[in-house]
Amino acid sequence: MKELSCSILLLAAASIVAVHAQAQVIVIANPGVKASEISKSDLRDVFTGNATSLPGGGNVVPILLKAGTVHEEFLQVYIGKNDTAYRAGWRSLVFSGQASMPKSMDGDAAVVEFVGHNAGALGYIGKATPHDGVKVLSIK
Amino acid sequence: MKRKLSRYVAGGILTALTLSICLHAQEIKLGSKTVQVHGFGTQGFIHTNDNNWLTMKTSNIGSGAFTDAGVNMTMQVRSNLRIGGQGYDRRLGQLGDWHPQLDWALADYRFRPWLGFRGGKVKTVLGLYNDSQDVDSAHTFALLPQSVYSIDMRDATLSHIGGDVYGTIKAQRYGKFCYTGYVGDQIQSTHGGYPYLLTVHGIYINKTGGLTYGGDLRWQMPVKGLLTGVSYEENHVRNTGELNPSVALGGPNVLVPYWEQSRSQFTKQYYAEYTHGNLRVDSEYRRFWRDFTIFDGQFLALIGTHGWYQSAAYQVNKWFEFGGYYSHFGEDWIVTVPGQVEAASESDPSRHIYDKVVTARFDMYTHWYVKAEGHLMGGNAAGNNPMYPDGFYTQVNLQGIKPNTNALVVRAGFSF
Repeated sequence: MKELSCSILLLAAASIVAVHAQAQVIVIANPGVKASEISKSDLRDVFTGNATSLPGGGNVVPILLKAGTVHEEFLQVYIGKNDTAYRAGWRSLVFSGQASMPKSMDGDAAVVEFVGHNAGALGYIGKATPHDGVKVLSIK
Repeated sequence: MKRKLSRYVAGGILTALTLSICLHAQEIKLGSKTVQVHGFGTQGFIHTNDNNWLTMKTSNIGSGAFTDAGVNMTMQVRSNLRIGGQGYDRRLGQLGDWHPQLDWALADYRFRPWLGFRGGKVKTVLGLYNDSQDVDSAHTFALLPQSVYSIDMRDATLSHIGGDVYGTIKAQRYGKFCYTGYVGDQIQSTHGGYPYLLTVHGIYINKTGGLTYGGDLRWQMPVKGLLTGVSYEENHVRNTGELNPSVALGGPNVLVPYWEQSRSQFTKQYYAEYTHGNLRVDSEYRRFWRDFTIFDGQFLALIGTHGWYQSAAYQVNKWFEFGGYYSHFGEDWIVTVPGQVEAASESDPSRHIYDKVVTARFDMYTHWYVKAEGHLMGGNAAGNNPMYPDGFYTQVNLQGIKPNTNALVVRAGFSF
């Protein structure tokens, strides 16, 4: 019984840590995007090429980071794949004619710049990155 | 042989150097629109201990006649309308033979998440990997499990000229369903395994294909990372060409018109995939059936194949992945041409190929990778079958086809 309680406490602690880890990445959108929140499922669909619009209307275009800790965290938390498998998935779609390759940016500032100036653009950046000119979507 | 090998190596290096310059040239401005350009290429080498495999002279030193490349251009015309096309060329021993093809060319209109349309030459959705089987950079293995995705028979299911309807339907807590339905004309290459096999009978096919239709339904289950699905396709194939009756029928040494036609042909496929972190596990089963008349309707050929595989792959880190699979292929056939008798039991090597495979993949740089793969194959599945190729062809195995084959496959590639 004691061991079970310890396990439960450890699991709870790990969950809290995980939640805090998730909070380091935020999802941003062009101000013209109607939605103010997005489900994890819809986010995953857009960033894996399975969807080109959000519920409630409006086509969206995913914008990626080329590499980095923000990129790795976004993939781990919201996509459930490592970068190699993630890129392989997109190549599979592009070379079989089912999608266009999303743009990849060098850093957070470039993502903010692009998302702010392109209708329908959806991206992800570090929480601490300045993001004037874009809207933040809450994850439900 | 050494000179040929040097030519391959030199050609490969020159190609790699040239392409390194171009690898980042991916967008072209066309007025206010952007055209994306992407490409890929692979160079492989296969060595076998016994038997020549996949129409290459792989025994003895081995063969590098295993090359393919593709380049595509796509443009987002509007937010829900995309057009594009891809050219592809390959050489696999005697197959492909550097005859470039239009791989796909289509317009894709996504009306709603649950309804989209594709029209043109479209890759056929059949199982997990039929539409992406040429995208070597997207796969762990140098050769996909041959029991389901035989590289020499890829033309038989690869694409169709017609239309697709597709979409995704969310089922709340029951997950998500993705569907595809299609109908079209399946124009197959005359440089594939089946036309090549027929040349041993004095049959030279110059046109192959016919009406095809089918569908795919996959279920992204509520259990995270678990996907299952089913595909079904029917074909009405008619092949035409010429026949030299002296080769197989003891007739005169002349060329006469030839045709063969399917009376019933279908492919059924069931599949499942599970991904968890860096682990991916796949399993597929394919059943193929063909009932057709041959030699201008004089004889019948009934061919049934069943293939399945179980694979697993694990991404260790950014640059290294390893995996393995067991691939099980069996066939049964009846051909009413006199003298053609299949072995009674599937345990006979001429009626199966059981392949055990391990692979290591190294992603050396952003655009480059190399794979090393070992195959232990029991059976040859085509020693006596006159009408269905399974990787082992008598044309390149004049001493006869031995029961078992071990193979080393090395394949390097790039994509941008």
